[in-house]
Amino acid sequence: MIAWLLPPLGLLAGLMLGAVTLTPAEALSLLADPAQPLGQLLWQWRLPRVLAAGCVGALLALGGAVFQGVFRNPLAEPYLLGSAGGAAVGATVALLVALPLPQWLALPLFAFCGAWGATWLVLALARLADGTSIAALLLAGVAVAALLGAVRSFLMLALSDETVSLQAVLAWALGGVQTPSWPELAVLAALTVAALALCLALARGLDLLGLGEAVAESFGLPVRRFVALAVLAGAFVVAVSVVWGGLVGFVGLMAPHLARWTSGPLHRGLLPRAAAIGAGLAMLCDGAARALLPPAEIPLGLVTAAIGAPFFLLVLAREARRG
Amino acid sequence: MAEAALSLRGLGYRAGAAALVEDVTFDLHPGKVLGLIGPNGAGKTTLLRLMAGLLRPATGEVRLHGRPLPAWPARERARRMGYLPQHFAPHWDYTARELLRLGLERGGSAEGLEEVATLHGVAGMLARRWSSLSGGERARVLAASVLATRPGVVLADEATAALDVGQSLALMRRLRAAAREGAAVAVVVHDLNLALAGCDRLALLHQGRLHALEAAAALAEDARLDAAFGVAFVRVRTAAGLLLSARDGG
Repeated sequence: MIAWLLPPLGLLAGLMLGAVTLTPAEALSLLADPAQPLGQLLWQWRLPRVLAAGCVGALLALGGAVFQGVFRNPLAEPYLLGSAGGAAVGATVALLVALPLPQWLALPLFAFCGAWGATWLVLALARLADGTSIAALLLAGVAVAALLGAVRSFLMLALSDETVSLQAVLAWALGGVQTPSWPELAVLAALTVAALALCLALARGLDLLGLGEAVAESFGLPVRRFVALAVLAGAFVVAVSVVWGGLVGFVGLMAPHLARWTSGPLHRGLLPRAAAIGAGLAMLCDGAARALLPPAEIPLGLVTAAIGAPFFLLVLAREARRG
Repeated sequence: MAEAALSLRGLGYRAGAAALVEDVTFDLHPGKVLGLIGPNGAGKTTLLRLMAGLLRPATGEVRLHGRPLPAWPARERARRMGYLPQHFAPHWDYTARELLRLGLERGGSAEGLEEVATLHGVAGMLARRWSSLSGGERARVLAASVLATRPGVVLADEATAALDVGQSLALMRRLRAAAREGAAVAVVVHDLNLALAGCDRLALLHQGRLHALEAAAALAEDARLDAAFGVAFVRVRTAAGLLLSARDGG
């Protein structure tokens, strides 16, 4: 129930917060009156921005839920795993290198390849160490994320020139949702719905994988093929979120956890709730990012990290107690 | 004798240079419980995993109802063959109901979830999460989930290892009940007396090879048993049957 309340709450908060803060009544009456100058502003800027943040949050949550299911690890998350970092490296290349591809195609394509490659690298490293143990996964994730961060910084220094603003790339990398036009928002919303459908198609396999590989296989899941497919799907979801929202950490960790508390571990119930919670969280945090230091904006990634890092430690402590 | 439910022909498996299972041939028959016994490292678990299709054999093949295992579509095979692992710890805190549902989703079961739960004595714990179940309750829930589709072949890998004596006997009873209903059962058992009491036939494995395959009562008397385990067994005859007690043979 709480999961479904978060998106409308986040939407309302997102509409209220910003350089000019509105009361709920003001926000709603302006929304109902687009002819007014302030109403126009709300419709042209704040509303699409808030909805875009919601989509990015939902995507991060879905990516987190899928990776937690694939890695069978409650701390797997696109940002910590390095998949978001991989997507960011891909996207940085697409932004800074003159490619024989239009950028609307190059950006998501390279981001997807980056996310996919990074996730496999972490999976392979973790398997080398000790399968799905939390320590192995975190160490592999930290190592890959650090490497990818270094590669991205190098690319930014080596490849940027007067034609590409370093600051623009940096601001994007820190995690910030750009205000889209309505047609752009429609594309993002369609991709988000597609991502939800894709993840829901993986739900039963993720549930079975939670029983351990042997039992999953004996219950009819072709484990290797399924993991490859799920990593591919997860990389797609993460790439879309990174292209639109940059590097935003911890939403992909928090949302699936909160969803699991409300719905239990079965993914059919978990995935839509995680998406709803992720959307609500991201809209709230994006509102806070716009309102905390007006007229400047704090990168969204900083706000989510401020909330998410303590949450991460909490989960880590719980898992350590569980042994 | 009825047609074999599962047949193994010249089955072999290697890990690097070491042969873990070599040239094993036997059949599992409906209605019978076969115990796989042998000292540690004899290849019992590897053999069972080969039988379940979880490992790909280096030589030979496994046929389920006459058809090679890899030729079965995954879900069809899953419905016809149940596998109880040695250790089972789900990564998420599923409820008993959720675990049962995952088992039933293999399809082909005439019974509904509540019926299966009643049948396996887990109806009272459906709403409880895995973390709140005791060891014995966990074994019951897992068995219910694996046996939910009434698979024709049931493979249990030392599923009694973590259970106390009463729980082990209860699980063995459940496997025997599955056999009475027509399943061909193979179970890896560490406790030889449990194997004697619960199995129709025993397969003695030693260093990856099948050393003996006999009726349980006959193998209990066989000197090959002492040789494989490197001990001299004291055989105590009781009203309930033969009991084995190990004495140091060295």
